[in-house]
Amino acid sequence: MAAQEKNSAAAAVKGFFKAIGSFFRDFGTAVVKGDAFVKLSLLWIGAGYAKRKQYVKAVLMTILEIAVIMFTVKFAMQYVPKIGSLGTVKMEKVFNMKTMKSEFNDYDNSFTILLFSLFSFVVWLAAAVVWFKSVINAYALQKMEEEGQHINTFKEDLRSLTEEKFHITLLTLPVLGVVIFTLIPILLLIFVAFTNYDQNHMPPTELFSWVGLSNFINLFGGGGLTTTFGYAFVRVLGWTLVWAFFATFTTYIGGILLSLLLNSKKTRWPKMWRTLFIVTIAVPQFVSLLLVRNFFSNGGIVNTICQNIGLTGFLRNIGLVSTSYIPFLSAPGWAHVMIILINIWIGVPYQMLIATGVLMNLPADQLESAKVDGATKFQIFRKITMPYLLFVTGPALITDFVKNINNFNVIYLLTQDVYTTTNQAMANSQAKEVDLLVTWLFRLTQDYYNYKMASAIGIIVFIICAVFTLVAFNRMIKGDKEGTYQ
Amino acid sequence: MKKMKDSRTSSIVLHNGLIAALALFWLIPIIWLVCTSFSAYTGMNTSTFFPKEWSAANYLKLFHPDSVAQFPQWFFNTFVIACFTCVISTMFVLMVAYATSMMRFKMRKPLMNMAVILNLFPGMLAMIAVYFTLKSFNLTNSYAGLIMVYSASSGLGYLIAKGFFDTVPRALCEAARIDGCNEARIFFRIVLPMSRPIVVYTVISSFLVPWMDFVYAKMILNAGISDRYTVAIGLYKMLDKSLINSYFTQFCAGGVLVSIPISILFMIMQKFYVEGITGGAVKG
Repeated sequence: MAAQEKNSAAAAVKGFFKAIGSFFRDFGTAVVKGDAFVKLSLLWIGAGYAKRKQYVKAVLMTILEIAVIMFTVKFAMQYVPKIGSLGTVKMEKVFNMKTMKSEFNDYDNSFTILLFSLFSFVVWLAAAVVWFKSVINAYALQKMEEEGQHINTFKEDLRSLTEEKFHITLLTLPVLGVVIFTLIPILLLIFVAFTNYDQNHMPPTELFSWVGLSNFINLFGGGGLTTTFGYAFVRVLGWTLVWAFFATFTTYIGGILLSLLLNSKKTRWPKMWRTLFIVTIAVPQFVSLLLVRNFFSNGGIVNTICQNIGLTGFLRNIGLVSTSYIPFLSAPGWAHVMIILINIWIGVPYQMLIATGVLMNLPADQLESAKVDGATKFQIFRKITMPYLLFVTGPALITDFVKNINNFNVIYLLTQDVYTTTNQAMANSQAKEVDLLVTWLFRLTQDYYNYKMASAIGIIVFIICAVFTLVAFNRMIKGDKEGTYQ
Repeated sequence: MKKMKDSRTSSIVLHNGLIAALALFWLIPIIWLVCTSFSAYTGMNTSTFFPKEWSAANYLKLFHPDSVAQFPQWFFNTFVIACFTCVISTMFVLMVAYATSMMRFKMRKPLMNMAVILNLFPGMLAMIAVYFTLKSFNLTNSYAGLIMVYSASSGLGYLIAKGFFDTVPRALCEAARIDGCNEARIFFRIVLPMSRPIVVYTVISSFLVPWMDFVYAKMILNAGISDRYTVAIGLYKMLDKSLINSYFTQFCAGGVLVSIPISILFMIMQKFYVEGITGGAVKG
């Protein structure tokens, strides 16, 4: 079974490379077998189109080619040659003899160099694809002409964008959005992890440069006695995994139990009860979590009640509490448990909704036949309901686990400003015992401008997620029932 | 016979009692939120669950903004951002869903596989890099930047809408094609009107994104200018250590006010979601 699962992911990857391979093969054939104009297309992209009387297209392609060349000369050449050093000229004030004023010199900005070089690479890649594609097209046109087929005019080409090529019209903008706001940032993150971009190397006043693997070495405990990132990293990573495990399973089991309870025949007004539970998740998290944080604060209402009923005193006597209040969200141990409990509060109704949806689609014929065969209620539950529920919602457990690894809101809103660490080694790396990798990363960027370490942590989170993601991905491809309804 | 009926009734009472107890437990913080918002005292009530004196002053104060609390302005800001996000995201989602569901082209499978992989990587991770990029284009502390962050990658969330489009009968589209309809007309005139539940679901869920979000707003609107905040950031700032004692009850009032419309939309969305899924199944 494991081998089969591997195949599905491998097949997807293989398919991807096959598509690239056939693209290059087409290009090769076009270059070898094409006539003079197809070959001329290698230099002047519009050539093939112009020969086949697609003049508008030829003009557009020529303009595009000129634009790319201009972009390269005027824009990219300012940045790309410097990518090896990320800039050498520091910002300085220079006294200009002509204007009698002190002005900034023509300095390098490491970050713009990095970003715009990356941007240039993406533009060049896109331009290369267009270039290859138009050579292939030129060859296709040549063949069409030889066979005496009709060649589309520009008007017909335009119209095809609302007909058989409508998908291009539909997909261009969304794909562009994903490329610019998801793919390029991820690439940028990977590059920054190999530089020393931090508070002491902030463009535009300072330069930063490539440092190889040293950020990762720091993160994994190397780098001498002065750095404590290795110490903090192991603890934060440990808590992230423990949290993700408990947060996923408690809400999953709780959600299933609650939905079974609500969907039982004994329940009166099930819709009303369901609505009441949903109210908890319908309130935005920044309201509900910030409220709960104050509900359980050191001088908060729960502490007053515990004091009044003598719980605080009891806990102090058995040594669980050393302060005059219960540090629900401000001491390690207590805070860890409380965060998981509070997460049950907001997570269970959500899982309940999903489980309810699944229970409603329970195959009725199976239940009927089981009843006819004289199965008891418990047997039906154990042999039919439960396996079905687990089968349908099981794969989602993995995605939930990954989501919980990155569950920023719960941790940040509950502990920011409230929890201060007393562990000096943790504090030195700006981490807290209750931090997840993502909240730590967020604090490093926002408050300490330590971009290099934040990026390195980001990559580690990426790799952890990727491992779990691949497992989930295989499951999903296997469960791909597309087309069965069509 | 009567005894058996009695035990059944008592078990029903017990069952519903358990649910009621759970529901009450779940609602305690919400009840506390509503009660506190009507407190006459400005700070947190720490001694009793219910406020000692009741008053609606907090709600009135929300509409007379001072330098810290500018609730109407925040509400307006968030509303503007939400409208733009809603339009762009809905378009993107429906466009991608239609293309992947109704049309067949060479890059379809590779694109869908890419989307699955990207979808499973939480957007959270690209966050800091997005921040760098926006900063170098001077788009931090601007609504344009925030709207782009919310809506640019929304095309990835196309799967639910695609699942619905998959169930629209092919015969109808084929008939339209034979009658000379082009794809664009089929999309606007046939598929969209037939998919009302999923369109409503997409509109509401994308409208809710800016209202529910905290992280991106916190990251991008970081200059500390109060009248540029969204509701989330504004309310969060009210609970600063130096402000909490004079603004806690106002925070509760603001929380209640913003939760009411959001909760209603959320409930409607749930309904349409279920309708979209089951309605689609029946048609198929």
